[in-house]
Amino acid sequence: MPNIKIFSGSSHPDLSQKIADRLGLELGKVVTKKFSNQETCVEIGESVRGEDVYIVQSGCGEINDNLMELLIMINACKIASASRVTAVIPCFPYARQDKKDKSFFDIPVDNLYAEPAVLKWIKENILEWKNCIIVSPDAGGAKRVTSIADRLNVDFALIHKERKKANEVDRMVLVGDVTDRVAILVDDMADTCGTICHAADKLISAGATRVYAILTHGIFSGPAISRINNACFEAVVVTNTIPQEEKMKHCSKIQVIDISMILAEAIRRTHNGESVSYLFSHVPL
Amino acid sequence: MNHTKGGLVIFTANSHPSSREMGKRIAERLGVELGQLQVYQEANRETRVQIQESVRGKDVFVIQTMSKDVNTSIMEMLIMVYACRTSCARSITGVLPYFPYSKQCKMRKRGSIVTKLIASMMCKAGLTHLITMDLHQKEIQGFFNIPVDNLRASPFLLQYIQEEIPDYRNAVIVAKSPASAKRAQSFAERLRLGIAVIHGEAQDAESDQVDGRHSPPTVKTTGAIHPSMEIPLLIPKEKPPITVVGDVGGRIAIIVDDIIDDVDSFVAAAETLKERGAYKIFVMATHGLLSSEAPRFIEESAIDEVVVTNTIPHELQKLQCPKIKTVDISMILSEAIRRIYNGESMSYLFRNIGVDD
Repeated sequence: MPNIKIFSGSSHPDLSQKIADRLGLELGKVVTKKFSNQETCVEIGESVRGEDVYIVQSGCGEINDNLMELLIMINACKIASASRVTAVIPCFPYARQDKKDKSFFDIPVDNLYAEPAVLKWIKENILEWKNCIIVSPDAGGAKRVTSIADRLNVDFALIHKERKKANEVDRMVLVGDVTDRVAILVDDMADTCGTICHAADKLISAGATRVYAILTHGIFSGPAISRINNACFEAVVVTNTIPQEEKMKHCSKIQVIDISMILAEAIRRTHNGESVSYLFSHVPL
Repeated sequence: MNHTKGGLVIFTANSHPSSREMGKRIAERLGVELGQLQVYQEANRETRVQIQESVRGKDVFVIQTMSKDVNTSIMEMLIMVYACRTSCARSITGVLPYFPYSKQCKMRKRGSIVTKLIASMMCKAGLTHLITMDLHQKEIQGFFNIPVDNLRASPFLLQYIQEEIPDYRNAVIVAKSPASAKRAQSFAERLRLGIAVIHGEAQDAESDQVDGRHSPPTVKTTGAIHPSMEIPLLIPKEKPPITVVGDVGGRIAIIVDDIIDDVDSFVAAAETLKERGAYKIFVMATHGLLSSEAPRFIEESAIDEVVVTNTIPHELQKLQCPKIKTVDISMILSEAIRRIYNGESMSYLFRNIGVDD
């Protein structure tokens, strides 16, 4: 492919390499370092004049540092006369402080979905998937869960927090029947994992045979890993929008779905001016 | 304080406790309480800012010192400024004693002019005015489309020299490289002393030397292009051996600069001055970044004292190296805030400042 360059920030070099491999390209040369006064320094190592540039940086780890690195890289490419600069941000930072809504941006935004990859994983890895039940750990995720349940042609359930009296702690109430079924909890992100661990307990005590958790972004900060180790999950599955190697060493229940092909295909289609909407319901090979 | 306007609120948006010192001092001098604010980092390292009082219709001053985590300090400030803007503050003035990334204000190879990026981000977030001190390059004021007040620390440093160095009249103001000669000159003029300039020492890789590269980049290997299209190459600068222009024999040497960060060049300059006969060596700088091993290098060097202002917190470095002394400049920042809030003239703060300072 002519006129395309892919650069990686320092947040997730592994994913960037996978994306580049799928596209049959080499990653662009860039040096990212910090001066002794902790200021970020970025130097692009090759010409980007007239090129379609893609910068892959995930909002994980030291978020503010990675964000600044991304901004400086975008700025550097623009000043070096790149024809177009696109940021590929698998996990968008500060997404919970305001909605990651298209209307907040002045530029085109493609919000891709992990759903096709999740469906594929379920069909390939859970034997009794035809008889499973998809569960949302909170009322907000109902739409996401029903979408998956419909495509698999299975039932769904949800857990909602009920406050009986003013000073009483929220009770978790299961809406739906999970007896003798394999329950699959689905959510968009797992941060401290308090909610999904409670949800798992609830499901087991309500009669579920096994509990899986499938989450798009595995942030896993604070007590998350120890909570998962002590909880009754069969497996906790996340995508590789955030690097998981370190955490997998401390927790054998974590499995990773590779979504590099979705991002690579989105980059290829954007570069060639093709439609990206195919990716909203299909996983590229 | 003028109470007919909406009112004055001062916040310090730093999460790091040592960075909140400056804010506290300024609030004390102005006789106001710091605004109620919660700034912290969540478990996933995202910064969260929660303003706990109303800023509607008020003149907000956000005091932000740069801590060890520069990027986090910048993010805290941006979130704070944006929060105030969306809460209908009447005006938002940023008080940044040290402006971050000011050493990355020129194009280096295929880099980015980060200072311009940060200036754009701050203006976009809603900043209406900026107060800072001793900008590394005065031209940085041009990166902003809002008023910028570039205050000077030199009167404080001059006062320190006159009060704390007993035989300062036998001193020479030294520029450790030709780049800081203008600053040395402006100090020397006000103290009626002579100057000396050191030339020829190795420039460190992090200096903001423009490498003369503009677009298109100059080609290194002449074999690759057609001989008839040869573009004349830029001749690399020759580095002459270290020379001291000016006489420091039997005198106190006072090296002045705006930033002291990596101290290699200062230590080398001190060695040279000692060899040429200086009997005491001081280093005066506005911003004491003093990163990584700096305190240890200073302790082991020929430098007698390093004097910096409190624009950047450096308590840890002072513990490691007793040669480091601090000059408090919160007075001029609080005076600037007072004058801006009351709509008074700022020219009094700039009297006795030469063109080259």
